[in-house]
Amino acid sequence: MKGAWNWTWKAGSILLLGYVILRGFGTPLQPGLVTATPSQLGIGTDTIILAAAGQPFAAADDVPSDFHVVLRAGDQLLKTETVEITPHSVRLAVNTPATLPSRALDAFVFTPAAGTLFLGNACFVEEAAKGDIPKDFRAKAPEERAPKLGFSFPYQPNIIESIRNLLWHVPMWFAMFFIMGLGFVASLAQLRTDNINWDMRAEAAVKTGLVFGLLGLATGSLWARWTWGAWWVSDPQLNGALVTVLLYSGYLILRAAMGDDDRVGRLAAVYNVFAFIMLVVLLMVLPRYTESLHPGKDGNPGFNSYDLDNSLRAVFYPAVIGWGALCYWMYTLRLRMNRHAYHLLSR
Amino acid sequence: MASARHTLRTASTIAGLEWQLEWRQGHQLAAVGLFAIASVYVAFQASDHNTTAAGWTAMLWLVHLFSGFTAIGRLFDRERTEVRRYLQWTAEPLGLMLGKLFHAILTTTALTAVVLGAFVLFLGWPQGMDDPGKPGLLVLGAWMGGLSMTTTLVFVSAVASQIRAGGSALAAVLGLPLLLPQLILATRLTRGALADQPWTMLVEYPLFLGALGAGTSAIACILFPYIWRA
Repeated sequence: MKGAWNWTWKAGSILLLGYVILRGFGTPLQPGLVTATPSQLGIGTDTIILAAAGQPFAAADDVPSDFHVVLRAGDQLLKTETVEITPHSVRLAVNTPATLPSRALDAFVFTPAAGTLFLGNACFVEEAAKGDIPKDFRAKAPEERAPKLGFSFPYQPNIIESIRNLLWHVPMWFAMFFIMGLGFVASLAQLRTDNINWDMRAEAAVKTGLVFGLLGLATGSLWARWTWGAWWVSDPQLNGALVTVLLYSGYLILRAAMGDDDRVGRLAAVYNVFAFIMLVVLLMVLPRYTESLHPGKDGNPGFNSYDLDNSLRAVFYPAVIGWGALCYWMYTLRLRMNRHAYHLLSR
Repeated sequence: MASARHTLRTASTIAGLEWQLEWRQGHQLAAVGLFAIASVYVAFQASDHNTTAAGWTAMLWLVHLFSGFTAIGRLFDRERTEVRRYLQWTAEPLGLMLGKLFHAILTTTALTAVVLGAFVLFLGWPQGMDDPGKPGLLVLGAWMGGLSMTTTLVFVSAVASQIRAGGSALAAVLGLPLLLPQLILATRLTRGALADQPWTMLVEYPLFLGALGAGTSAIACILFPYIWRA
């Protein structure tokens, strides 16, 4: 029975990760508006091109009568005329009046297939005077339609396609917390019992956890480059993550410096208990109380509702379980190596 | 199990012993002071009254950090081997830790006064600044930052002192990453105090520093007995 379960969960983790990779990269992204060109409009007639990312928001033979674009200034709508639709852009003709309630215009695209797309502050009209939009220029609010997209990931401004990184970056840290927590428990047990087996567990846990911590830093750095524009920024969450990884590297340095000193188990356990408490403080407590670019912080312990929709959840939870199981598997392998090494050395 | 009173008595004996040791081995205290003032002087020569607030803060905390390392890094292995062995068998670990912590707090207070005083004396305030915006908060920040650095260093040097060779070098390696959070908070507080940011924006920093210091002291006290007679 035990043997069967032993390979079942391992095979399960591989299957889950296979599903995560296929779904994570294969699922289309809901369309969203990225840019409007030109971003500055004069008064009078002009053309604007709204560019979109994600899966095509329109088919080439879409009926323009079913496809509406309006611009919003303040709480009033300005009408436009759709000139040309391609799968990833729409060209509009707009006649800008001399008076607008606001100089900033938001764009709304009502599509038959993809629902309503929105781009805030799409264009600016410097020369417009403050006032109501004249009657002739106004548009009626088109009817909102539910998107008919099927299984797709949500569009987030700035993040766009990189939202798939959620399935790699976040589970890496969850797996690290999990395995480091295991190491923490092992170290506490080591301090109580002075049994070398617990020390071997703690060491295996820290080594495995460090791998996941480094992967978390690497995937996070990639994501930061894409969304924030830099490989590394000064942010409480990032500082905490870096210090945590350095701290656990210190654990390995401490062990290496002790060599075959027979007090290594105790000393390493003491350090590991301290390191895990610092991990909790640095990654889960401190960032909550300071401003952070990092999502899920700023007083909010979980994800915001708009960060995770159901389609993302359907891949994210398997990813968390899959990476966690893989992490535990790696830990058991490392533990076996530690045991073999110990028996060889003490023979 | 030792009673609380016994623990406190051990703590005060150890603190007194540390103090005596400090005066008898006057060269160590002098060495720390010399290190601090010489570093400040280097900073002064390099900047020549021409620093921005950010540069000023960076130099202040570099000097403070490494002076702290010099002062606290050897806290657990400066007794002679015989004395150390005697303490190991007779002193109660919690009392010993409390005594050492108390001594470290006194040392840091003195060190903060020396470093900050020498800094203002030689470098003056950052360029274009007649006075710092909030001098009281500047001093409090230097002190609290120093304290929360010190308590972490006490724990690290207790761990490192258990290693037979190269303990003090290891204390530096293990200590530096651990001090990053404290230094981040402390430098932000110093910059804010120099720039006269409003109280409401700055008040959380001394609180965080105090909490970190208290927390690391508590963990050090809980864990120390496990390594002291290992």
